[in-house]
Amino acid sequence: MNLPKTILKAIILATTIFWLILTATEGFNEERIYLVFLSLIPISICCSLVIALTISPFFWLKKSGDSNRLVFKKYFPFYTIISFSLCLYGTLQDPLIICFYLSAFFTTMQTWVWLAKGNEQQNKLEV
Amino acid sequence: MKNISLIIGAFLFSTLFYKQDLGLNLSLFSLLTIIVLVIHNKDAFKHRRTIAFSSLYLITGIAIFFYKSNLSIIANCVAFVTLIGHVSEQKSSIYINWLNGLYTFIAAFFHRNFNIIENEEKVKLKKKVDYGHWIKVIGIPSIVLVIFISLYKNGNPVFADIISKIDFSFINLQWLLLAALGYYLLYNISKPIEVNPATEIDLNTSNILKNKSHINIESAKKENQLGVILITLLNLLIIFFLITDITYLITINDLRAPTISNQVHNGINALIASIVMAILIILVFFRGNLNFYEGNKNLKRLTYTWIILNVILIVNIAIKDAQYIYYFGFTYKRIGVLVYLLLTIIGLITTAIKVNQIKNFWYLLRVNTASAFTILIMSSTVNWDNHITYYNLNYAKSIDFNYIINLSNNNTFLLKYYSDNMFLKGKRKVLIDNKYNNYLRQLNNTDWQELGYDNFKLE
Repeated sequence: MNLPKTILKAIILATTIFWLILTATEGFNEERIYLVFLSLIPISICCSLVIALTISPFFWLKKSGDSNRLVFKKYFPFYTIISFSLCLYGTLQDPLIICFYLSAFFTTMQTWVWLAKGNEQQNKLEV
Repeated sequence: MKNISLIIGAFLFSTLFYKQDLGLNLSLFSLLTIIVLVIHNKDAFKHRRTIAFSSLYLITGIAIFFYKSNLSIIANCVAFVTLIGHVSEQKSSIYINWLNGLYTFIAAFFHRNFNIIENEEKVKLKKKVDYGHWIKVIGIPSIVLVIFISLYKNGNPVFADIISKIDFSFINLQWLLLAALGYYLLYNISKPIEVNPATEIDLNTSNILKNKSHINIESAKKENQLGVILITLLNLLIIFFLITDITYLITINDLRAPTISNQVHNGINALIASIVMAILIILVFFRGNLNFYEGNKNLKRLTYTWIILNVILIVNIAIKDAQYIYYFGFTYKRIGVLVYLLLTIIGLITTAIKVNQIKNFWYLLRVNTASAFTILIMSSTVNWDNHITYYNLNYAKSIDFNYIINLSNNNTFLLKYYSDNMFLKGKRKVLIDNKYNNYLRQLNNTDWQELGYDNFKLE
Protein backbone atom coordinates (compact mmCIF):
# COMPACT_ATOMS: atom_id res chain seq x y z
CA MET A 1 0.00 0.00 0.00
CA ASN A 2 1.50 3.30 -1.07
CA LEU A 3 0.11 5.31 1.83
CA PRO A 4 2.32 8.44 1.63
CA LYS A 5 1.50 8.88 -2.07
CA THR A 6 -2.22 8.45 -1.37
CA ILE A 7 -2.09 10.93 1.51
CA LEU A 8 -0.31 13.44 -0.73
CA LYS A 9 -2.99 13.07 -3.42
CA ALA A 10 -5.70 13.39 -0.76
CA ILE A 11 -4.14 16.61 0.58
CA ILE A 12 -4.13 18.15 -2.91
CA LEU A 13 -7.72 17.06 -3.54
CA ALA A 14 -8.96 18.30 -0.16
CA THR A 15 -7.21 21.67 -0.56
CA THR A 16 -8.62 22.09 -4.07
CA ILE A 17 -12.20 21.30 -3.04
CA PHE A 18 -11.96 23.40 0.12
CA TRP A 19 -10.68 26.52 -1.64
CA LEU A 20 -12.92 26.05 -4.66
CA ILE A 21 -16.03 26.14 -2.48
CA LEU A 22 -14.68 28.92 -0.29
CA THR A 23 -13.84 30.99 -3.38
CA ALA A 24 -17.29 30.34 -4.82
CA THR A 25 -19.03 31.51 -1.67
CA GLU A 26 -16.79 34.34 -0.49
CA GLY A 27 -14.81 35.39 -3.54
CA PHE A 28 -11.05 35.41 -3.96
CA ASN A 29 -8.35 38.00 -3.64
CA GLU A 30 -4.61 37.75 -3.86
CA GLU A 31 -4.12 38.04 -0.10
CA ARG A 32 -5.72 34.67 0.16
CA ILE A 33 -2.94 32.94 -1.74
CA TYR A 34 -0.86 32.93 1.43
CA LEU A 35 -3.78 31.44 3.28
CA VAL A 36 -4.04 28.69 0.67
CA PHE A 37 -0.49 27.65 1.45
CA LEU A 38 -1.00 28.08 5.18
CA SER A 39 -4.13 25.94 5.05
CA LEU A 40 -2.04 23.07 3.73
CA ILE A 41 -0.73 22.50 7.26
CA PRO A 42 -4.08 21.74 9.00
CA ILE A 43 -5.41 19.99 5.90
CA SER A 44 -2.32 17.73 5.80
CA ILE A 45 -2.72 16.88 9.48
CA CYS A 46 -6.45 16.15 9.09
CA CYS A 47 -5.97 14.07 5.92
CA SER A 48 -3.09 12.05 7.35
CA LEU A 49 -4.91 11.30 10.58
CA VAL A 50 -8.24 10.44 8.96
CA ILE A 51 -6.69 8.22 6.28
CA ALA A 52 -4.25 6.48 8.63
CA LEU A 53 -6.76 5.96 11.42
CA THR A 54 -10.07 5.36 9.66
CA ILE A 55 -9.43 4.03 6.13
CA SER A 56 -6.08 2.24 6.04
CA PRO A 57 -6.92 -0.12 8.96
CA PHE A 58 -9.57 -1.77 6.78
CA PHE A 59 -6.83 -2.80 4.36
CA TRP A 60 -4.18 -3.51 7.01
CA LEU A 61 -6.45 -5.72 9.10
CA LYS A 62 -8.07 -7.67 6.29
CA LYS A 63 -7.99 -11.46 6.46
CA SER A 64 -5.18 -13.05 4.47
CA GLY A 65 -7.53 -14.50 1.84
CA ASP A 66 -9.54 -11.34 1.31
CA SER A 67 -8.86 -9.17 -1.71
CA ASN A 68 -9.02 -5.38 -1.60
CA ARG A 69 -12.03 -5.55 -3.83
CA LEU A 70 -13.83 -7.55 -1.14
CA VAL A 71 -12.76 -5.12 1.59
CA PHE A 72 -14.04 -2.23 -0.52
CA LYS A 73 -17.30 -4.01 -1.27
CA LYS A 74 -17.89 -4.98 2.36
CA TYR A 75 -16.96 -1.83 4.28
CA PHE A 76 -17.06 1.12 1.89
CA PRO A 77 -20.89 1.45 1.81
CA PHE A 78 -21.16 1.61 5.59
CA TYR A 79 -18.14 3.90 5.93
CA THR A 80 -19.75 6.17 3.33
CA ILE A 81 -23.11 6.28 5.07
CA ILE A 82 -21.54 7.03 8.48
CA SER A 83 -19.22 9.64 6.98
CA PHE A 84 -22.13 11.28 5.13
CA SER A 85 -24.27 11.33 8.28
CA LEU A 86 -21.50 12.97 10.33
CA CYS A 87 -20.79 15.56 7.61
CA LEU A 88 -24.50 16.32 7.23
CA TYR A 89 -24.87 16.71 11.00
CA GLY A 90 -21.84 19.02 11.12
CA THR A 91 -23.16 21.10 8.21
CA LEU A 92 -26.58 21.46 9.83
CA GLN A 93 -24.92 22.57 13.07
CA ASP A 94 -22.86 25.22 11.31
CA PRO A 95 -23.66 25.77 7.60
CA LEU A 96 -20.75 28.22 7.27
CA ILE A 97 -18.16 25.45 7.33
CA ILE A 98 -19.83 23.38 4.61
CA CYS A 99 -16.59 23.67 2.59
CA PHE A 100 -14.75 21.73 5.28
CA TYR A 101 -17.32 18.92 5.43
CA LEU A 102 -17.73 18.68 1.65
CA SER A 103 -13.97 18.46 1.11
CA ALA A 104 -13.65 15.92 3.94
CA PHE A 105 -16.45 13.76 2.48
CA PHE A 106 -15.28 13.73 -1.11
CA THR A 107 -11.63 13.28 -0.16
CA THR A 108 -12.30 10.27 2.05
CA MET A 109 -14.47 8.68 -0.64
CA GLN A 110 -11.82 9.13 -3.32
CA THR A 111 -9.10 7.92 -0.94
CA TRP A 112 -10.96 4.61 -0.55
CA VAL A 113 -10.89 4.19 -4.33
CA TRP A 114 -7.21 5.11 -4.56
CA LEU A 115 -6.20 2.74 -1.80
CA ALA A 116 -8.31 -0.14 -3.11
CA LYS A 117 -7.23 0.34 -6.72
CA GLY A 118 -3.58 0.89 -5.82
CA ASN A 119 -3.46 -2.28 -3.79
CA GLU A 120 -5.23 -4.22 -6.50
CA GLN A 121 -2.61 -3.20 -9.04
CA GLN A 122 0.13 -4.11 -6.56
CA ASN A 123 -1.44 -7.54 -6.06
CA LYS A 124 -1.54 -8.06 -9.80
CA LEU A 125 2.15 -7.26 -10.10
CA GLU A 126 2.95 -9.68 -7.28
CA VAL A 127 1.03 -12.44 -9.07
CA MET B 1 -28.59 11.12 -25.02
CA LYS B 2 -28.38 9.71 -21.50
CA ASN B 3 -25.51 11.99 -20.57
CA ILE B 4 -27.31 14.98 -22.05
CA SER B 5 -30.28 14.29 -19.81
CA LEU B 6 -27.94 14.39 -16.80
CA ILE B 7 -26.37 17.67 -17.91
CA ILE B 8 -29.79 19.28 -18.48
CA GLY B 9 -30.88 17.87 -15.12
CA ALA B 10 -27.81 19.37 -13.43
CA PHE B 11 -28.55 22.86 -14.79
CA LEU B 12 -32.18 22.48 -13.78
CA PHE B 13 -31.04 21.39 -10.30
CA SER B 14 -28.99 24.55 -9.90
CA THR B 15 -31.80 26.71 -11.28
CA LEU B 16 -34.25 25.15 -8.86
CA PHE B 17 -32.20 25.28 -5.68
CA TYR B 18 -29.66 28.10 -6.00
CA LYS B 19 -30.34 30.44 -3.07
CA GLN B 20 -33.94 29.25 -2.81
CA ASP B 21 -36.09 27.98 0.00
CA LEU B 22 -38.04 24.76 -0.51
CA GLY B 23 -41.37 24.78 -2.30
CA LEU B 24 -42.27 24.10 -5.92
CA ASN B 25 -38.58 23.28 -6.58
CA LEU B 26 -38.68 20.10 -4.49
CA SER B 27 -41.87 18.99 -6.27
CA LEU B 28 -40.19 19.58 -9.64
CA PHE B 29 -37.04 17.82 -8.47
CA SER B 30 -39.19 14.77 -7.64
CA LEU B 31 -40.42 14.81 -11.22
CA LEU B 32 -36.88 15.31 -12.54
CA THR B 33 -35.63 12.34 -10.50
CA ILE B 34 -38.34 10.09 -11.92
CA ILE B 35 -37.57 11.22 -15.49
CA VAL B 36 -33.83 10.51 -15.03
CA LEU B 37 -34.62 7.12 -13.50
CA VAL B 38 -36.99 6.20 -16.35
CA ILE B 39 -34.46 7.23 -19.02
CA HIS B 40 -31.69 5.12 -17.48
CA ASN B 41 -33.71 2.19 -16.09
CA LYS B 42 -36.51 1.44 -18.53
CA ASP B 43 -36.72 -2.23 -17.49
CA ALA B 44 -37.24 -1.44 -13.83
CA PHE B 45 -40.26 0.69 -14.69
CA LYS B 46 -42.03 -2.27 -16.25
CA HIS B 47 -42.75 -3.49 -12.73
CA ARG B 48 -45.91 -2.29 -11.03
CA ARG B 49 -44.21 -1.87 -7.66
CA THR B 50 -41.66 0.52 -9.15
CA ILE B 51 -44.47 2.60 -10.62
CA ALA B 52 -46.24 2.51 -7.25
CA PHE B 53 -43.11 3.73 -5.42
CA SER B 54 -42.66 6.46 -8.06
CA SER B 55 -46.26 7.55 -7.54
CA LEU B 56 -45.76 7.69 -3.77
CA TYR B 57 -42.63 9.78 -4.26
CA LEU B 58 -44.51 12.11 -6.58
CA ILE B 59 -47.39 12.39 -4.08
CA THR B 60 -44.98 13.51 -1.34
CA GLY B 61 -43.52 16.05 -3.80
CA ILE B 62 -46.99 17.41 -4.53
CA ALA B 63 -47.74 17.49 -0.78
CA ILE B 64 -44.75 19.84 -0.32
CA PHE B 65 -46.22 22.19 -2.93
CA PHE B 66 -49.61 22.21 -1.20
CA TYR B 67 -48.45 22.54 2.40
CA LYS B 68 -44.78 22.49 3.10
CA SER B 69 -44.10 20.95 6.48
CA ASN B 70 -41.18 19.14 8.08
CA LEU B 71 -43.17 15.92 7.88
CA SER B 72 -43.80 16.22 4.13
CA ILE B 73 -40.11 17.03 3.52
CA ILE B 74 -39.00 14.01 5.58
CA ALA B 75 -41.55 11.79 3.80
CA ASN B 76 -40.28 13.07 0.43
CA CYS B 77 -36.66 12.21 1.36
CA VAL B 78 -37.65 8.74 2.62
CA ALA B 79 -39.76 8.08 -0.51
CA PHE B 80 -36.82 9.24 -2.68
CA VAL B 81 -34.36 6.87 -1.00
CA THR B 82 -36.92 4.03 -1.14
CA LEU B 83 -37.55 4.52 -4.85
CA ILE B 84 -33.83 4.61 -5.71
CA GLY B 85 -33.23 1.49 -3.62
CA HIS B 86 -36.18 -0.25 -5.21
CA VAL B 87 -34.89 0.48 -8.72
CA SER B 88 -31.53 -1.07 -7.74
CA GLU B 89 -33.22 -4.33 -6.69
CA GLN B 90 -36.98 -4.85 -7.07
CA LYS B 91 -37.25 -7.93 -4.88
CA SER B 92 -35.48 -6.70 -1.75
CA SER B 93 -37.09 -5.65 1.54
CA ILE B 94 -37.90 -2.03 2.18
CA TYR B 95 -35.11 -1.52 4.75
CA ILE B 96 -32.61 -2.86 2.19
CA ASN B 97 -34.13 -0.41 -0.30
CA TRP B 98 -33.29 2.36 2.17
CA LEU B 99 -29.72 1.11 2.50
CA ASN B 100 -29.25 0.75 -1.27
CA GLY B 101 -31.01 4.05 -1.96
CA LEU B 102 -28.92 5.99 0.52
CA TYR B 103 -25.67 4.41 -0.67
CA THR B 104 -26.55 5.06 -4.32
CA PHE B 105 -27.51 8.66 -3.60
CA ILE B 106 -24.29 9.52 -1.79
CA ALA B 107 -21.55 7.37 -3.28
CA ALA B 108 -22.53 5.53 -6.47
CA PHE B 109 -20.03 7.62 -8.43
CA PHE B 110 -17.12 6.28 -6.38
CA HIS B 111 -18.50 2.76 -6.43
CA ARG B 112 -18.74 2.80 -10.21
CA ASN B 113 -15.37 4.48 -10.47
CA PHE B 114 -13.88 1.50 -8.68
CA ASN B 115 -15.84 -0.53 -11.22
CA ILE B 116 -16.29 -3.87 -9.56
CA ILE B 117 -17.30 -6.53 -12.01
CA GLU B 118 -19.21 -8.92 -9.80
CA ASN B 119 -19.21 -11.94 -12.08
CA GLU B 120 -15.72 -11.79 -13.40
CA GLU B 121 -14.33 -11.06 -9.93
CA LYS B 122 -11.66 -8.72 -11.19
CA VAL B 123 -11.00 -5.06 -11.26
CA LYS B 124 -11.37 -3.55 -14.66
CA LEU B 125 -9.21 -0.51 -15.09
CA LYS B 126 -11.02 2.07 -17.13
CA LYS B 127 -9.28 3.10 -20.32
CA LYS B 128 -11.86 5.51 -21.66
CA VAL B 129 -11.01 8.85 -20.09
CA ASP B 130 -8.11 9.56 -17.78
CA TYR B 131 -9.82 12.10 -15.54
CA GLY B 132 -6.77 12.44 -13.26
CA HIS B 133 -4.61 13.44 -16.21
CA TRP B 134 -7.12 16.03 -17.40
CA ILE B 135 -7.48 17.44 -13.90
CA LYS B 136 -3.70 17.80 -13.77
CA VAL B 137 -3.53 19.32 -17.27
CA ILE B 138 -6.18 21.93 -16.45
CA GLY B 139 -5.78 22.35 -12.70
CA ILE B 140 -2.02 22.69 -12.18
CA PRO B 141 -1.39 25.28 -14.95
CA SER B 142 -4.43 27.27 -13.76
CA ILE B 143 -3.20 27.41 -10.16
CA VAL B 144 0.37 28.28 -11.21
CA LEU B 145 -0.97 30.91 -13.61
CA VAL B 146 -3.05 32.58 -10.88
CA ILE B 147 -0.05 32.65 -8.53
CA PHE B 148 2.22 34.22 -11.15
CA ILE B 149 -0.38 36.77 -12.23
CA SER B 150 -0.77 37.92 -8.64
CA LEU B 151 3.04 38.20 -8.31
CA TYR B 152 3.47 40.12 -11.61
CA LYS B 153 0.65 42.47 -10.64
CA ASN B 154 2.80 43.79 -7.82
CA GLY B 155 5.77 44.27 -10.11
CA ASN B 156 4.17 46.18 -12.99
CA PRO B 157 1.39 48.83 -12.64
CA VAL B 158 0.38 48.62 -16.35
CA PHE B 159 0.04 44.86 -16.11
CA ALA B 160 -1.91 45.27 -12.86
CA ASP B 161 -4.23 47.79 -14.51
CA ILE B 162 -5.00 45.48 -17.46
CA ILE B 163 -5.56 42.51 -15.19
CA SER B 164 -7.89 44.47 -12.90
CA LYS B 165 -10.04 45.40 -15.93
CA ILE B 166 -10.76 41.75 -16.68
CA ASP B 167 -14.19 41.14 -15.21
CA PHE B 168 -15.38 37.61 -14.62
CA SER B 169 -18.27 38.66 -12.40
CA PHE B 170 -20.78 37.36 -14.96
CA ILE B 171 -19.64 33.81 -14.08
CA ASN B 172 -21.42 32.66 -10.98
CA LEU B 173 -19.05 30.07 -9.55
CA GLN B 174 -21.45 29.17 -6.76
CA TRP B 175 -24.22 28.43 -9.28
CA LEU B 176 -21.83 26.31 -11.35
CA LEU B 177 -20.68 24.38 -8.30
CA LEU B 178 -24.30 23.66 -7.38
CA ALA B 179 -24.86 22.45 -10.95
CA ALA B 180 -21.82 20.18 -10.56
CA LEU B 181 -23.29 18.85 -7.33
CA GLY B 182 -26.60 18.31 -9.16
CA TYR B 183 -24.76 16.38 -11.88
CA TYR B 184 -23.04 14.27 -9.23
CA LEU B 185 -26.38 13.44 -7.55
CA LEU B 186 -28.19 12.69 -10.81
CA TYR B 187 -25.26 10.62 -12.08
CA ASN B 188 -25.38 8.65 -8.81
CA ILE B 189 -29.08 7.89 -9.02
CA SER B 190 -29.13 7.26 -12.78
CA LYS B 191 -27.89 3.69 -12.30
CA PRO B 192 -28.71 2.59 -8.75
CA ILE B 193 -26.33 0.13 -7.13
CA GLU B 194 -26.60 -2.50 -4.42
CA VAL B 195 -24.88 -2.89 -1.08
CA ASN B 196 -23.59 -6.41 -0.91
CA PRO B 197 -23.61 -8.87 0.78
CA ALA B 198 -26.60 -7.22 2.57
CA THR B 199 -28.83 -7.35 -0.53
CA GLU B 200 -27.84 -10.92 -1.41
CA ILE B 201 -28.52 -12.09 2.15
CA ASP B 202 -31.90 -10.36 2.11
CA LEU B 203 -32.86 -11.96 -1.21
CA ASN B 204 -31.90 -15.38 0.11
CA THR B 205 -33.84 -15.00 3.36
CA SER B 206 -37.44 -16.12 3.21
CA ASN B 207 -40.23 -15.23 5.65
CA ILE B 208 -40.82 -18.79 6.74
CA LEU B 209 -39.07 -20.31 9.72
CA LYS B 210 -37.36 -23.54 8.76
CA ASN B 211 -37.07 -26.57 10.98
CA LYS B 212 -33.29 -26.70 11.01
CA SER B 213 -32.56 -29.66 13.20
CA HIS B 214 -34.03 -32.67 14.87
CA ILE B 215 -36.36 -31.57 17.70
CA ASN B 216 -35.16 -32.51 21.16
CA ILE B 217 -38.55 -33.41 22.67
CA GLU B 218 -37.36 -33.17 26.27
CA SER B 219 -35.90 -29.69 25.92
CA ALA B 220 -38.89 -28.47 23.86
CA LYS B 221 -41.24 -29.81 26.57
CA LYS B 222 -39.35 -27.93 29.29
CA GLU B 223 -39.30 -24.73 27.27
CA ASN B 224 -43.01 -25.10 26.53
CA GLN B 225 -43.71 -25.54 30.27
CA LEU B 226 -41.73 -22.41 31.09
CA GLY B 227 -43.56 -20.48 28.37
CA VAL B 228 -46.99 -21.59 29.58
CA ILE B 229 -46.26 -20.56 33.19
CA LEU B 230 -44.72 -17.22 32.23
CA ILE B 231 -47.40 -16.19 29.74
CA THR B 232 -50.22 -17.33 32.05
CA LEU B 233 -48.83 -15.12 34.81
CA LEU B 234 -48.42 -12.22 32.39
CA ASN B 235 -52.00 -12.70 31.21
CA LEU B 236 -53.27 -12.59 34.80
CA LEU B 237 -51.20 -9.50 35.48
CA ILE B 238 -52.44 -7.61 32.43
CA ILE B 239 -56.09 -8.57 33.23
CA PHE B 240 -55.65 -7.17 36.75
CA PHE B 241 -54.03 -4.03 35.33
CA LEU B 242 -56.84 -3.56 32.80
CA ILE B 243 -59.57 -3.95 35.47
CA THR B 244 -57.97 -1.33 37.72
CA ASP B 245 -57.28 0.98 34.76
CA ILE B 246 -60.83 0.77 33.38
CA THR B 247 -62.23 1.35 36.91
CA TYR B 248 -60.06 4.43 37.20
CA LEU B 249 -61.16 5.65 33.76
CA ILE B 250 -64.85 5.31 34.68
CA THR B 251 -64.56 6.93 38.09
CA ILE B 252 -62.18 9.76 37.14
CA ASN B 253 -63.56 13.17 38.07
CA ASP B 254 -60.48 15.34 37.80
CA LEU B 255 -60.40 16.52 34.20
CA ARG B 256 -57.61 19.07 34.55
CA ALA B 257 -55.06 18.97 31.73
CA PRO B 258 -52.02 17.98 33.84
CA THR B 259 -53.90 15.03 35.39
CA ILE B 260 -55.07 13.56 32.10
CA SER B 261 -51.71 14.40 30.48
CA ASN B 262 -49.89 12.44 33.19
CA GLN B 263 -52.30 9.58 32.74
CA VAL B 264 -51.86 9.38 28.97
CA HIS B 265 -48.09 9.80 29.00
CA ASN B 266 -47.53 7.34 31.87
CA GLY B 267 -49.86 4.91 30.11
CA ILE B 268 -47.90 5.30 26.89
CA ASN B 269 -44.55 4.74 28.58
CA ALA B 270 -45.87 1.61 30.25
CA LEU B 271 -47.36 0.52 26.96
CA ILE B 272 -44.11 0.99 25.06
CA ALA B 273 -42.25 -1.17 27.57
CA SER B 274 -44.97 -3.82 27.80
CA ILE B 275 -45.53 -4.17 24.04
CA VAL B 276 -41.82 -4.32 23.22
CA MET B 277 -41.31 -6.89 25.97
CA ALA B 278 -44.39 -8.83 24.86
CA ILE B 279 -43.10 -9.08 21.28
CA LEU B 280 -39.57 -9.97 22.50
CA ILE B 281 -40.86 -12.70 24.83
CA ILE B 282 -43.00 -14.16 22.03
CA LEU B 283 -40.03 -14.02 19.66
CA VAL B 284 -37.78 -15.78 22.18
CA PHE B 285 -40.23 -18.62 22.76
CA PHE B 286 -41.14 -19.01 19.11
CA ARG B 287 -37.61 -18.58 17.75
CA GLY B 288 -37.06 -22.22 16.73
CA ASN B 289 -38.02 -25.73 17.73
CA LEU B 290 -41.05 -24.78 19.84
CA ASN B 291 -42.86 -23.81 16.63
CA PHE B 292 -42.65 -27.42 15.46
CA TYR B 293 -43.33 -29.08 18.82
CA GLU B 294 -46.72 -30.77 18.73
CA GLY B 295 -47.65 -29.96 22.34
CA ASN B 296 -47.41 -26.18 21.86
CA LYS B 297 -51.15 -25.57 21.39
CA ASN B 298 -51.75 -24.24 24.92
CA LEU B 299 -48.77 -21.95 24.67
CA LYS B 300 -50.07 -20.64 21.34
CA ARG B 301 -53.54 -20.04 22.80
CA LEU B 302 -52.04 -18.18 25.77
CA THR B 303 -49.93 -16.12 23.38
CA TYR B 304 -52.96 -15.12 21.31
CA THR B 305 -54.82 -14.21 24.54
CA TRP B 306 -51.90 -12.07 25.62
CA ILE B 307 -51.81 -10.33 22.25
CA ILE B 308 -55.58 -9.64 22.46
CA LEU B 309 -55.20 -8.28 26.00
CA ASN B 310 -52.41 -6.01 24.79
CA VAL B 311 -54.73 -4.78 22.03
CA ILE B 312 -57.36 -4.01 24.70
CA LEU B 313 -54.66 -2.11 26.61
CA ILE B 314 -54.00 -0.09 23.45
CA VAL B 315 -57.71 0.65 23.02
CA ASN B 316 -57.78 1.77 26.64
CA ILE B 317 -54.94 4.21 26.05
CA ALA B 318 -56.60 5.40 22.83
CA ILE B 319 -59.78 6.21 24.79
CA LYS B 320 -57.74 8.22 27.29
CA ASP B 321 -56.04 10.07 24.44
CA ALA B 322 -59.40 10.71 22.74
CA GLN B 323 -60.78 12.06 26.03
CA TYR B 324 -57.77 14.31 26.34
CA ILE B 325 -58.26 15.53 22.75
CA TYR B 326 -61.99 16.06 23.34
CA TYR B 327 -61.34 18.41 26.25
CA PHE B 328 -58.11 20.12 25.25
CA GLY B 329 -57.89 19.74 21.48
CA PHE B 330 -55.30 18.27 19.15
CA THR B 331 -51.54 18.70 19.45
CA TYR B 332 -48.78 16.95 17.54
CA LYS B 333 -47.94 14.89 20.64
CA ARG B 334 -51.53 13.66 20.98
CA ILE B 335 -51.68 12.76 17.28
CA GLY B 336 -48.28 11.09 17.67
CA VAL B 337 -49.73 8.92 20.42
CA LEU B 338 -52.51 7.77 18.08
CA VAL B 339 -50.01 7.00 15.32
CA TYR B 340 -47.87 5.06 17.77
CA LEU B 341 -50.93 3.09 18.91
CA LEU B 342 -51.76 2.25 15.30
CA LEU B 343 -48.22 1.03 14.70
CA THR B 344 -48.36 -1.01 17.90
CA ILE B 345 -51.59 -2.72 16.86
CA ILE B 346 -50.02 -3.58 13.49
CA GLY B 347 -46.97 -4.93 15.36
CA LEU B 348 -49.15 -7.13 17.54
CA ILE B 349 -51.24 -8.44 14.63
CA THR B 350 -48.10 -9.32 12.66
CA THR B 351 -46.69 -11.05 15.75
CA ALA B 352 -49.87 -13.15 15.95
CA ILE B 353 -49.50 -14.02 12.24
CA LYS B 354 -45.85 -14.91 12.87
CA VAL B 355 -46.84 -17.38 15.60
CA ASN B 356 -49.76 -18.81 13.63
CA GLN B 357 -48.02 -19.26 10.29
CA ILE B 358 -44.54 -20.06 11.68
CA LYS B 359 -42.82 -17.01 10.24
CA ASN B 360 -39.39 -15.71 11.25
CA PHE B 361 -38.07 -12.46 12.68
CA TRP B 362 -37.35 -11.07 9.20
CA TYR B 363 -41.03 -11.32 8.35
CA LEU B 364 -41.84 -9.06 11.29
CA LEU B 365 -39.14 -6.58 10.31
CA ARG B 366 -40.23 -6.52 6.66
CA VAL B 367 -43.94 -6.08 7.30
CA ASN B 368 -43.56 -3.56 10.11
CA THR B 369 -41.05 -1.34 8.31
CA ALA B 370 -43.32 -1.38 5.24
CA SER B 371 -46.28 -0.40 7.48
CA ALA B 372 -44.30 2.42 9.08
CA PHE B 373 -43.30 3.66 5.60
CA THR B 374 -46.93 3.59 4.40
CA ILE B 375 -48.14 5.49 7.47
CA LEU B 376 -45.38 8.08 7.02
CA ILE B 377 -46.36 8.68 3.38
CA MET B 378 -50.07 8.81 4.20
CA SER B 379 -49.57 11.23 7.08
CA SER B 380 -47.45 13.51 4.90
CA THR B 381 -50.47 14.14 2.68
CA VAL B 382 -52.47 15.68 5.53
CA ASN B 383 -52.32 19.37 6.34
CA TRP B 384 -52.02 18.72 10.08
CA ASP B 385 -51.62 22.33 11.20
CA ASN B 386 -54.82 23.31 9.42
CA HIS B 387 -56.76 20.36 10.84
CA ILE B 388 -55.43 20.89 14.36
CA THR B 389 -56.41 24.55 14.22
CA TYR B 390 -59.85 23.85 12.77
CA TYR B 391 -60.69 21.23 15.39
CA ASN B 392 -59.32 23.19 18.33
CA LEU B 393 -61.11 26.39 17.35
CA ASN B 394 -64.46 24.73 16.67
CA TYR B 395 -64.76 21.67 18.89
CA ALA B 396 -62.20 21.61 21.74
CA LYS B 397 -63.58 22.48 25.17
CA SER B 398 -60.60 24.66 25.96
CA ILE B 399 -58.01 26.20 23.60
CA ASP B 400 -54.28 26.69 24.02
CA PHE B 401 -54.17 29.73 21.72
CA ASN B 402 -50.39 30.18 21.89
CA TYR B 403 -49.93 26.64 20.63
CA ILE B 404 -52.12 27.35 17.59
CA ILE B 405 -50.35 30.63 16.83
CA ASN B 406 -46.94 28.95 17.03
CA LEU B 407 -47.85 26.32 14.45
CA SER B 408 -46.51 26.73 10.90
CA ASN B 409 -48.02 29.12 8.35
CA ASN B 410 -50.25 26.33 7.03
CA ASN B 411 -53.02 27.54 9.35
CA THR B 412 -52.62 31.29 8.75
CA PHE B 413 -55.51 31.74 6.31
CA LEU B 414 -57.80 29.70 8.54
CA LEU B 415 -56.85 31.81 11.57
CA LYS B 416 -57.49 35.01 9.60
CA TYR B 417 -60.87 33.69 8.49
CA TYR B 418 -61.68 32.80 12.10
CA SER B 419 -60.53 36.21 13.33
CA ASP B 420 -62.65 38.07 10.75
CA ASN B 421 -65.78 35.97 11.16
CA MET B 422 -65.74 35.72 14.93
CA PHE B 423 -64.98 39.44 15.25
CA LEU B 424 -62.06 38.77 17.55
CA LYS B 425 -60.62 41.65 19.54
CA GLY B 426 -57.65 42.24 21.79
CA LYS B 427 -54.42 40.26 22.01
CA ARG B 428 -55.60 37.28 19.98
CA LYS B 429 -56.59 39.46 17.02
CA VAL B 430 -53.22 41.25 17.14
CA LEU B 431 -51.37 37.93 17.18
CA ILE B 432 -53.37 36.59 14.22
CA ASP B 433 -52.97 39.82 12.23
CA ASN B 434 -49.20 39.80 12.86
CA LYS B 435 -48.91 36.24 11.70
CA TYR B 436 -51.08 36.92 8.65
CA ASN B 437 -49.20 40.05 7.61
CA ASN B 438 -45.80 38.40 8.05
CA TYR B 439 -46.96 35.47 5.95
CA LEU B 440 -48.32 37.75 3.21
CA ARG B 441 -44.98 39.57 3.11
CA GLN B 442 -43.20 36.24 2.88
CA LEU B 443 -45.48 35.02 0.06
CA ASN B 444 -45.02 38.23 -1.91
CA ASN B 445 -41.25 37.89 -1.73
CA THR B 446 -41.04 34.33 -2.99
CA ASP B 447 -39.35 33.43 -6.26
CA TRP B 448 -41.07 31.01 -8.63
CA GLN B 449 -38.94 28.15 -7.30
CA GLU B 450 -40.35 28.65 -3.80
CA LEU B 451 -43.98 28.88 -4.84
CA GLY B 452 -46.58 27.01 -2.83
CA TYR B 453 -50.31 26.55 -3.15
CA ASP B 454 -50.87 29.50 -0.80
CA ASN B 455 -49.33 31.85 -3.38
CA PHE B 456 -52.24 31.12 -5.68
CA LYS B 457 -54.74 31.97 -2.95
CA LEU B 458 -53.54 35.56 -2.97
CA GLU B 459 -55.61 37.94 -4.99
